[in-house]
Amino acid sequence: MDLAAAVAPTTLARQRTLPVPDPLIPLLPDGALPRGRAVACGGVASTSLSIALAAGATVAGAWLAVVDVPWLGVEAAGELGVPLERLVRVDPPAERGDAAWADLVAAVLDGFEVVITRVPRRLGAGVARRVQARVQAREAVLITVGDPGPLATDIRMVASTPVWEGVEHGWGHLRGRRVAVTSSGRRIPRPRRVELWLPGPDGAVATVDPVVHPIKQQHAGDPLTSDQQRIAIATAAG
Amino acid sequence: MWCPDWPIVAAGIRAEVPAMVLHANRVVARSPAAADAGVAVGQRRRTAQQACPDAELLVHDHDRDARAFERVVRAVGRFAPRLEVVEPGWLCLGARGPSRYFGGDDALARQLLDAVTAAGDVAASRAGIGVGIADGRFASAVAAWRGVRSPLVVAPGTSPAFLAPLPVAWLGRVGGVDPELVGLFARLGLARLGELAGLSDGELLARFGPPGRHAHRLARGDDERPPGGAEPPPERCSQQVFDDPVGQLDPLVFTAKHLADQLVAALSAEGRVCTRLVVIAETDHGERSERAWYRAAGMSAPAMVERVRWQLDSWMASGDVSAGVVLVRLVPDEVRGDDGDQLRLWGGPSAADERAARAVARLSGMVGDRAVLVPTWRGGRLPADRYGWVPASTTDLTDADDTAQRLRPRLDGAGAVGPWPGALPAPSPAVVPATGQPAELADADGQPVRVSGRGELSAAPATLTIAERPPQAVTGWAGPWPLDEGWWEPRRHRRLARFQVVTADGAAHLVLVEHGTWWVVASYG
Repeated sequence: MDLAAAVAPTTLARQRTLPVPDPLIPLLPDGALPRGRAVACGGVASTSLSIALAAGATVAGAWLAVVDVPWLGVEAAGELGVPLERLVRVDPPAERGDAAWADLVAAVLDGFEVVITRVPRRLGAGVARRVQARVQAREAVLITVGDPGPLATDIRMVASTPVWEGVEHGWGHLRGRRVAVTSSGRRIPRPRRVELWLPGPDGAVATVDPVVHPIKQQHAGDPLTSDQQRIAIATAAG
Repeated sequence: MWCPDWPIVAAGIRAEVPAMVLHANRVVARSPAAADAGVAVGQRRRTAQQACPDAELLVHDHDRDARAFERVVRAVGRFAPRLEVVEPGWLCLGARGPSRYFGGDDALARQLLDAVTAAGDVAASRAGIGVGIADGRFASAVAAWRGVRSPLVVAPGTSPAFLAPLPVAWLGRVGGVDPELVGLFARLGLARLGELAGLSDGELLARFGPPGRHAHRLARGDDERPPGGAEPPPERCSQQVFDDPVGQLDPLVFTAKHLADQLVAALSAEGRVCTRLVVIAETDHGERSERAWYRAAGMSAPAMVERVRWQLDSWMASGDVSAGVVLVRLVPDEVRGDDGDQLRLWGGPSAADERAARAVARLSGMVGDRAVLVPTWRGGRLPADRYGWVPASTTDLTDADDTAQRLRPRLDGAGAVGPWPGALPAPSPAVVPATGQPAELADADGQPVRVSGRGELSAAPATLTIAERPPQAVTGWAGPWPLDEGWWEPRRHRRLARFQVVTADGAAHLVLVEHGTWWVVASYG
């Protein structure tokens, strides 16, 4: 009998994921963050989006490390749902090479299940692969803010068309931002798009329009794919 | 038998060397030299270093402790075959049989102490080894702790009297009772175990639930079961037979994880937890390692795996193993109803917390204390003031009280509390740089917008220029919200006005003007 087969744990796909807040569920395959993968956040709301993605897992008990994003707003993170007692910020050394960044991220992955980071501008492909292997081995989730460079990201999320509500000319105060978040990537056969409040009036993420629009129009009579059915059910349920 | 400073012995520290073993910034063990200097178990690293600045700092390594403890376990195994290891440095055995053989409890205790001292290389580190004999696990552990210099034997039947005058803190220290519950007993005026034992079982159950009843039983000196008792093993045991012998530790531990998961899932489906686990491993040549492990609070799957690792690691390192392992079996020897007094009930640290705390310690060593930071609440009316960052190495990340105090001080704290009237409402900016960026807010004619002392604007803002970037048209703005802070103290006095500005590219910024200069202090990224 093959030892590897004998000892391999029979985990379901669901056990190899980390939860996300409800409004983000329709954007992700299986409605959760896949462990051992990298997720890229880009566009206008990349910082808020990355924090929102990490919030569900931290609520469930995971620790969040923020590597090389020194400007992260702690209060905003709290409002997006991150329990601050499980938030740690790590700054790389000043004379930063991409290898130093990779070593640091590798060490961080030993203790943290969710890591938010920026990828250095000139990252070697070999170094990127090393980081990726580490993410996979530790079954963590790496969330990148901005351009992921040569890092192969399974899911790419882009926030666009931001509209701020609440301020007029000289009165009111910011109440929330509507953005369209699009997710695409290897694990998502058709890009998905959701209108979100990011942040909403209480600082948390919320759904604006509960209907998911596949970007490509469906042909009439085309049966729903199982993925879409599940999303339709998930959104109908809440 | 209990050696409170076992980690020091395992690390091979000599008595005259001051040293302490740290976990999550707290001292878990110290050498006699450090103890003389005033280092105590449970102290913070900072305090301990103040007391003893030249002490050697060691990281807590359970595997090292367990490997070193194996020698002691073997030596004690000659007295009593049925012994159980609670943790490295602490083991239990049923004394009734062996003490008859050796001629009484006192003789047995002395024999044990000699054997342990000889086997454990303990003499060099002069660490105390306690041997205590009493009724039940809890009373004997207390006796062992108090019997560090000379063995302490509590006569049969007198354990309740022995425990009665002792403080309730023992419940937390050796009984595995949640420290918060123990603290609550003390606050309620139940300072001594005897006072707790005097209450009725029903009262404690009604008020504190199963953990209260458990604490009450311990205080009365009854244990749930005698150590090594002949509890018929449940039908359920979890095992793996390898067709190809396995010579390495890691695949075995991985298999054990799988087995432990199955076992815990099966037991918890029946609402039970395992308190005493027997781990059996056999090699191809018939060598066998069998050991019982005990944990009063019940074992989770990771706790089982840890014990399997300790046992197999020291067994394989002992040189008795001449072939690969063909069998690993986990037998739940004692199970009890899971009445909910698991670690998490009162919010104790989880495995993820411990792992993160260890990683933080490593990272602090890699990039320096000042580069590994955790947020702390400071209070204020500007985003950068409200939360600050402090080095993670100065805090205890797994201590819930400490963390709560750091993130939201209670109302009795000094200065940094209160509702902060005049702070901006949610949502808060997600991008808060340490220092603001210079900016320029101009009106439609290109003239800088000025704010008068009474909060009136010279003109409506039309463009926002941040640092050297091209100007952006302003599509919405709100403010000014004037702020006059610290006027009672000239050096801290700040007078400024805040604005929220939305620009045509969809970005929103928190902009302030102070002494006629504009700054972007945060962005809603």
